[in-house]
Amino acid sequence: MNCSEFQESLPEAFESGPTAEQDSHLKSCSTCSDLVADLDLIAREARQLQESAEPNPRVWNSIEIVLRQEGIIRDPHLGPSLVPARARRWNMAWLAPVAAMVLVAFGIVIFQRGSADSRLSAHLDTTSSALPAALSTSQRAPIANNNDDDQVLAAVASRSPAMQAQYASNLQNVNDYIKDAEASAQADPNDEEAQQIVMDAYEQRATVYEMALDRSLP
Amino acid sequence: MARARQLQLVSFVILATAICASAEARKEFRFTVGPGAVISITNQYGPISVKPGSGSQVIVIAVLHSDQVEIDHSQNGNRVDVLSHLLSEANTDAGRVDYEVSVPSDASVTLRSSTGVLHAEGLHGDVTLEGSQANVEVRDISDAHVHVRTLNGSVALNNIRNGHVEITSVSGDVVLNSVNGPLVQVNSTSGKIHYEGDFGNSGEYMLTSHSGDIEASAPNDASIDVTARSVRGKVENDFLLEPKHTPFVVRAGSAFAGTMNKAASSVRLFSFSGKIHLKKRQNTL
Repeated sequence: MNCSEFQESLPEAFESGPTAEQDSHLKSCSTCSDLVADLDLIAREARQLQESAEPNPRVWNSIEIVLRQEGIIRDPHLGPSLVPARARRWNMAWLAPVAAMVLVAFGIVIFQRGSADSRLSAHLDTTSSALPAALSTSQRAPIANNNDDDQVLAAVASRSPAMQAQYASNLQNVNDYIKDAEASAQADPNDEEAQQIVMDAYEQRATVYEMALDRSLP
Repeated sequence: MARARQLQLVSFVILATAICASAEARKEFRFTVGPGAVISITNQYGPISVKPGSGSQVIVIAVLHSDQVEIDHSQNGNRVDVLSHLLSEANTDAGRVDYEVSVPSDASVTLRSSTGVLHAEGLHGDVTLEGSQANVEVRDISDAHVHVRTLNGSVALNNIRNGHVEITSVSGDVVLNSVNGPLVQVNSTSGKIHYEGDFGNSGEYMLTSHSGDIEASAPNDASIDVTARSVRGKVENDFLLEPKHTPFVVRAGSAFAGTMNKAASSVRLFSFSGKIHLKKRQNTL
């Protein structure tokens, strides 16, 4: 018997014990004997884990009460059944991981919603040139732009009043660029060049902002 | 008597000249650097010119136009920083400093000035030039990155070989003459863009303007894959292009697309309301 034949016959060996041939191969092959030892260890550890992770029976009782009140589980109907009845504990056991998964999914939704809100706030608060989010951007952008533009122009006015008119003109042109670029991109979302143009337009505005707010240069 | 008055007048002129000259101060700084040095010069008012020098020295010559500005400088290893420091409410004239700088040709240079002119030539280290009103001139640069950012200043690039070029100019005009490399990207809001060259033998060329006109002039043997679009402006093409598939509808008069020769370089010309013209340039013998 070689190693591949031995490994193919492993399931039978675990069920009904090894044959003489399998025993003889185990004694002569360290690879297969190590494999069997590892499988034995896994089986033992799994049984111990199941026993140690068993919750308090009161937990199951409490879950059963709540589920009965919700009408999710009912008394089993009397009469013949094609499916053998399972222990009550096992019926409720599968609900626990399901409930855990529901809670995890709910947590992910809440987390993602919170992240999206903070990202949108960061976008409105900063002068970043990143591509704006879809949908509500067209409503939010004009308000945010006006506020940011006003702040930038105020900063320019305080440091270089003579430059304010020029910066205002540049910002007006750049905002027109952004408006046209976004309209073009929204008209055809599959147009990659149009998407790139939107980023270029925002980069222009970022340039104006950075130059206006750079303290080392007027 | 008349002679005496003449002498007084001459003396007065000489004295006045001396007084004016003394208001300007010339300062020189020298820094010894190793290969790949990084040089940064920030000058609120006034021009900065950088050229290659021999040896491993950075030589900075600064002419200060008044005593209301001083030069702060520092060297940390291979990094040299020079800054014009305004001491009081100096205006454009009083705060002006003129810089002439020579650096090793492999040095990376960053020049910043609001009024300019910013000039760099003969280098093969990375060059970054920024200024709100500064006119920018770059020539004879090879195997390097060239980054330019201006608001209203004009930009002129000449003889840039194997360059990675990125230009952002809000309203200044941009002129590129013999500029080739793996990437040549110009982004303008209202400035005009003019390219004259052959687009190299491989590279991406993207010339984008919101309302400025774009004019690209190339020879008949240029090897390009070109796409040109103007949303509201006109487009013109002097070449006979091999048609190619595009992801957008090519409307005559508003867009054209096609290839020439081996289509080695990709050329993208885009404007919203500017006019685009791909011109045929005759080869000169």
